[in-house]
Amino acid sequence: MENTKGSPGEGIERPPMNVGGGSAEERVIRALIDGFPQTVTDFRKVRDGFLRAKIERRNLYKACKMLRDQLGFEHISMITAVEYEDRFELVYHIACYGSCLLLELITTTPKDDPSVDSVAEIWGGANWQERESYDLMGIRFNNHPKLERILLPKDFMFHPLRKSYKEGP
Amino acid sequence: MAEMWINMGPQHPMTHGLWNLRIKVDGETIVDAEPEVGYLHRGIEKICENRTYTQILPIADRLCYGAALSWNHLYCRTIEDLMGLEVPERGQYLRVAALEMQRIASHLMWLAAYAADLGMMIGFIYAMRDREIFIDLLQAMSGSRLTYNYCRIGGVAHDAPPDFERDSLRACDYIEKKIEEYYDLYEGSKVFMMRNVGIGKLSKEDAMNLGVTGPPLRASGVRYDLRKDVPYESYDAIDFQPITHPDGDCYARYRVRMEEMLESCKIIRQAVTKMPKGKWRIVAPRNGPVGTGLGRVEDPRGEGMMYAVGDGTDRPYRLKIRSPIFVTVSAAKHMLVGYKVADVVAIMGGLDMCIGETDR
Repeated sequence: MENTKGSPGEGIERPPMNVGGGSAEERVIRALIDGFPQTVTDFRKVRDGFLRAKIERRNLYKACKMLRDQLGFEHISMITAVEYEDRFELVYHIACYGSCLLLELITTTPKDDPSVDSVAEIWGGANWQERESYDLMGIRFNNHPKLERILLPKDFMFHPLRKSYKEGP
Repeated sequence: MAEMWINMGPQHPMTHGLWNLRIKVDGETIVDAEPEVGYLHRGIEKICENRTYTQILPIADRLCYGAALSWNHLYCRTIEDLMGLEVPERGQYLRVAALEMQRIASHLMWLAAYAADLGMMIGFIYAMRDREIFIDLLQAMSGSRLTYNYCRIGGVAHDAPPDFERDSLRACDYIEKKIEEYYDLYEGSKVFMMRNVGIGKLSKEDAMNLGVTGPPLRASGVRYDLRKDVPYESYDAIDFQPITHPDGDCYARYRVRMEEMLESCKIIRQAVTKMPKGKWRIVAPRNGPVGTGLGRVEDPRGEGMMYAVGDGTDRPYRLKIRSPIFVTVSAAKHMLVGYKVADVVAIMGGLDMCIGETDR
C-alpha cells in the first residue's frame, strides 16, 4: 500500500490534486488553505497519510505554529536543505502522532539570501537539525537560540554540501 | 558552591564511540548539560552525491555498526519510493525477518553495553553470547557478520538459506527463554535497580516536543511505532503490539527494549512461516527519475528517515539522512538536569547511542 507513489517530478508546477479520503487529511488541507490563502500552493496528497504543500517563507513560522497548536502536528521528523541552481529548498517533514499523518512542507529561499525563520521555538527537536542545515548547507535560521556549527569544527570555513564546494582547504 | 563545567568525553568509557558530553555541576548535581557530536563525521551525504545508486548500498551499511541492515533497508526503501518499485512479497517477508533479527541483535548489544556501563560484567557476557545466535542467522542469510549489504533496490540479495525456518524458530525459542533469565539476572540485582528506577525522567510532553523517537519515546508513554502506525513492507499482515511504558525513566527504557525483543520473536515466527514462495527481487533501472523519494522506518534506535532527490542520472542529486539518535541526544539536557554525576552513565547509556549514524 505504501509503495504506490505519486508521479515523480518534484519542483514542477502541477494543478492541485483532487483530494479525498480521510477526514484528518481534509481538515489539515482546509485549515492550511483557509489560514494562508495566497501563500500555500501546490497542495497534494502523495499517498494515504502523506501530504505535500508548498509555502512562502514569510508565512512558515505562523503556519508551523498553527500546525502544532491547532492541528496536532507535534513531531518534527526531519529538516532537509536542498540546493538547486536558482534556489535553496527547505523541506520540513512534520508528523502527527494521533492521526499518523506526515506533512511535507516545502519552502524556498533565494540564492543570495538563504534564510528562514527558525521553528526551534515551536519544536525543540528542530534545534539541532537547523544547526545541521546551517553547518552543512549554510542556511541561516532567524531567531535560532544557538546557530553554531554542530558536526564540523567551529573554524571550518565552508558549507560542504553546497554544490560549489569541491574539496577541502 | 561554585559551578563548573566537566567534559565527559570524547575519550570516556561511557561514550561508546567519540562524542563529548559537557555537564555543568553544582557539587554533585547537574545543572546544565550540552552534548557535542561530530567527531566521526565522514560526510556520507556528500559522498553519496558522487556515487551511483548501487554503489551507495554498502555505504549505507556503514552508518551504524550495531544495526547495519536497518540502514541498508532504509536506503533501499527510499530509492524504491523514488523509482516507484514494488518489492515482491517474498522479498518483503525476508526483509521483515532480517530486520527483526537485526533489532534483537542491536538490542542485545545495547543490553550488553548497558550492563557493562552499570558495572555488571556478567550481563555483558551473557547478552553478547546470545547476540551471536542472531548474528549467525544473519550471516547465513547475507554472508557477513556485521555489515550485511543484504537488501537490494527492488528486493533482497539472496533467497533464504536452507533450513532457515527451522533455525529461526529455534533461535526464537532460545532467546525467549533467555530473556526470562535476564529479567531475573538484571532486576534481581539491587545495584541495577537502584541505578535505573526513577533516574533520567523524561516527560511525555518533552519527549514529543524534542523529537525523541523509538524506545525512549515509547518509554515515556507515547504509543508510536512506525511498524504499526505507518506500516511498511509486510508489517501490516503481522500481528504484534508496540510496547509502551508510562514512567519515562531509565528502567522504562530498559523494559521497553526487553519486551520489544519478545515482540520481535513473534514477528520473526510469523514472517518465516507465512513467507510465500516466489521471486525475492526485481531488477531496478540504472537511472533514477527526476523527483523525490522518502523512506521512513522504525530503526532499533528510533525513527530513521531518508530523503532522496533524483535528477534523472544514475546518482542521487541529494540524499538526506535523518538519524534518530542525533535528535534524541539533543534532549539529553532535559533528562540529565537535576540528577547526580553518577547517574550520567545510566541515563546516556539508556539511550543506545550509535555514533556512526549520529555524525554520519
